[in-house]
Amino acid sequence: MQSVQQAPARRIYTPSAPIWCPGCGDFGVLASLKKSLSDLGIASKDTVIVGGIGCSGSIHNNLECYGIHSLHGRLLPTAVGVKLANPKLTVIAAGGDGDGYAIGVGHFIHTLKRNPSIVYIVMQNGTYGLTKGQPSPTAALGYEGNKDIPFDAVQTALSIFSTTFIARGFSGNQTQLTELLKGALNHANSNKGLGFLEVLSPCVTYNDTYKQWREQVYNLDAEKGYDRTSRPAALTRTMQLLDEGKIPTGLIYEGTTPSLEANTLTQTEPIALQDITSPSNIPRYEELLKDFR
Amino acid sequence: MATQLEQAPNIKTELRNQISIMIGGQGGDGTLTVVNLLGRIFRDYGLNVYDARNVLSRIRGGHADGVIRASCDEIYSTGDEIDTLVAFDEEAVTLVLNDLAPDATIIFDSSKGPLAQGLHRAFTVYEAPLGNMAASALRRNIFKNTIAFAILGRILGFEDEVLVQVLKARYARRGQEALESNLKALNIGLDYATKSIHSSPYKLKRGTNSGKILSTGNEATAFGFLVGGGRFFVGYPITPATDIMEWLAPRLPKFGGVVKQAEDELAVINMGIGAAYAGARVMVATSGPGQSLMTEGVGHAGESEVPIVVVECQRVGPSTGEPTRNEQSDINHIVYGSHGEFPRLVVAPGTASECFKMSADALNLAEKYQLPVFILLDQALCQNSESVQPFDIKAVTIDRGKLLSEESISKIPLYKRYQYSEDGISPRSIPSLEGGQSQVTGNEHNEFGLVSVDKSNRLRMMSKRMKKVELAKSDLPRGNNFGPRDAKIGVIGIGSTYGPIIESMAQLQERGTKVRFHQLRTVFPLLEDDLKEFMQGLEGIFVVENNYQGQLARMIKSVTADNERIVNITKFDGTSFKPIEITNAISSVLSKSSDAASFKLGV
Ligand SMILES: Cc1ncc(C[n+]2csc(CCOP(=O)(O)OP(=O)(O)O)c2C)c(N)n1
Ligand code: SF4
Ligand SMILES: [Mg+2]
Repeated sequence: MQSVQQAPARRIYTPSAPIWCPGCGDFGVLASLKKSLSDLGIASKDTVIVGGIGCSGSIHNNLECYGIHSLHGRLLPTAVGVKLANPKLTVIAAGGDGDGYAIGVGHFIHTLKRNPSIVYIVMQNGTYGLTKGQPSPTAALGYEGNKDIPFDAVQTALSIFSTTFIARGFSGNQTQLTELLKGALNHANSNKGLGFLEVLSPCVTYNDTYKQWREQVYNLDAEKGYDRTSRPAALTRTMQLLDEGKIPTGLIYEGTTPSLEANTLTQTEPIALQDITSPSNIPRYEELLKDFR
Repeated sequence: MATQLEQAPNIKTELRNQISIMIGGQGGDGTLTVVNLLGRIFRDYGLNVYDARNVLSRIRGGHADGVIRASCDEIYSTGDEIDTLVAFDEEAVTLVLNDLAPDATIIFDSSKGPLAQGLHRAFTVYEAPLGNMAASALRRNIFKNTIAFAILGRILGFEDEVLVQVLKARYARRGQEALESNLKALNIGLDYATKSIHSSPYKLKRGTNSGKILSTGNEATAFGFLVGGGRFFVGYPITPATDIMEWLAPRLPKFGGVVKQAEDELAVINMGIGAAYAGARVMVATSGPGQSLMTEGVGHAGESEVPIVVVECQRVGPSTGEPTRNEQSDINHIVYGSHGEFPRLVVAPGTASECFKMSADALNLAEKYQLPVFILLDQALCQNSESVQPFDIKAVTIDRGKLLSEESISKIPLYKRYQYSEDGISPRSIPSLEGGQSQVTGNEHNEFGLVSVDKSNRLRMMSKRMKKVELAKSDLPRGNNFGPRDAKIGVIGIGSTYGPIIESMAQLQERGTKVRFHQLRTVFPLLEDDLKEFMQGLEGIFVVENNYQGQLARMIKSVTADNERIVNITKFDGTSFKPIEITNAISSVLSKSSDAASFKLGV
């Protein structure tokens, strides 16, 4: 029997469909990510998505590129390892707020400090979605009995002097989110350092904050006279907004600091692709024998 | 100043075959510097050298000592007795009183008063206020170590010029001032020796070695990694593993590589996994506490089939334990540690030369079988140095296993990172290769690396991964066997027990007991055939190890089902076995023909 129309045979895996609840904010992040990668023409073979553990940390399965699923909280060191081994790759770490701000918060601080040229997307929903709704570090006071003051990652990032790109988006605003994500990707891919993007990405099942956040978000990109290149200005303005009960969004800060790769790598050829069998190394190794006193 | 060195009554002048020297004092007294200087001279004299350090985990204060032994013959440990002791305080004498040879010579720093009469025994004691001499001439007490070095040099019969040269070599890079002060201190020491020491009681025969180098296990492991194509090292400082990072830090970048100090061991193992996944050859190194933090990550590498080499430099544990002391008590942790089951390989070198080769080979094993490979070391092996033949760089081969190129991927109709295969090993793509896009994960996954909880998939994936361990057996280092084939007594040990066991064999032979030794080099999986072959025909087997529970013995028993013949000799006081301790333990068990299954030293 003749088949009607044969699709070309696939050569790689078919991405799985998202596992998220209908309406989950993470759908918006996935859509923006797909659009940004395609609009910017970033080759799938050169893209590595490093997923965390959580509902959010399954996003890598839904795209057609290289993906590595790290341990809970360990996506940033994993992503930094990938980037240092092959700086030509577009490396995107993507995970939840529990993943990044609780169990992985040590790596968060140190990654901000090191400024590697990768993108870090945090899907912030104020809860641990995957483990069914316990308060996360960003949970509001009173949420599920939470008594801890919520953590603000943007303010933290602003207070670390080597950060170079700090942004906050909202799943409920796709246009802005895609622009921010493209900005973060361009920032990282021009070796300027870490493109940090927190996305307000509501968990409709355990912490549906869509309505509340829609009222609270304040787009700094639209504010005349806001100077995103001044750290003190950014800190002052965002603190004011927080005091007023608003959540600042947009590209909040942009600065320049040498990237981790610029500080660390001694050659442009990726280590990962180096010919380690080259016989020209042998005399150089033999030279090192002299160092053994 | 009453700084006359006392003349010893009966000076021995015959040329010696070997000597063991200890320099003891407080941390910060520069004891290890003297050991290093002596090591270079002995090495240049063609002698075999073995040294060990014993320092507390703090920079200043607390007892610290270094021992160096030199010999015309092959030596493998610091031996049983100390012939010459430089003591910067009385504690340095009392602590080792029972380890001193009955006719030992002591150079005692009498700055704070003479050595207590009761400590003189039959020793030859030279007393000089070394610290005061340094302080008055050079305004700094610290130069006492160089003064002591000068006096030692005379006692050992080195030519003065040799002492000058070795100081120059050491201090050349530390600035003119440091060198000049040390040369002054040297002259002060030589002047006193001229007045007070009229012969060289410990003059050594020259050795016949040429071209040997001095290396610690850590340095050799680091170098092996570099030569084996290792290009990404990530670590977090911890004794006794830090030396590996410090050796690589100035060298690896010259080969385009990266040495990164991370924020903790959680970052270390995961950064390593990221770099290895991307295609670099990666090593991480740590000690027990750091290993505990890395455990989840190692399992993750096993499940996601990322090749990585993990060096575990054992020290006394658990918790912070004794950071600078020797123990082999992480064997269970390395072999069994982690939730879940995953394939891993554990190799254990016993000498610096083996550290070099097995470090390079571990990179091949990791990539060939796509799993974590442990190199199990212990503090003594890590940090003691020995004179060895220069490492055989040309003997290192590089085998990257089923690592794909873009061209080889183009021939694969549908790429699957975890493709089921006969041997359990799937072709491995790395990012940037077109057509090799795939998912790598620590979740149970299907062949594409997508999450799966399908029962039959789980069975196949588990079997695929676990069977790599069996497959690797033919590639793993078999044990080294020593001693006469007709011996009826066998000894098994790993890591730094190698040296003391080898030397104990000679002592036992003198007592009429022939012994065979199996230096186990693969700890997991145990190579049953290799072990059983060794054990054949033996009437008694002693498993010698530095821990309380007899972890190695238990493992061996679990595969050989041999409970009757095996006697476990353990030591867990934080120090390495002395050859004589092993000898005495074996002799006493044999003579009593006791059926005790374990012999805990010192308990
Ligand atoms: C070491 C460790 N501890 C706990 C867990 C269980 N766990 C899985 S996901 C998760 C929290 C996820 O929250 P978040 O990162 O905010 O992601 P979300 O599901 O909200 O997207 C936890 C605690 C784990 N996987 N590993
Ligand atoms: S539980 Fe919440 S975070 Fe998880 S998928 Fe559902 S809506 Fe999204
Ligand atoms: Mg969350």
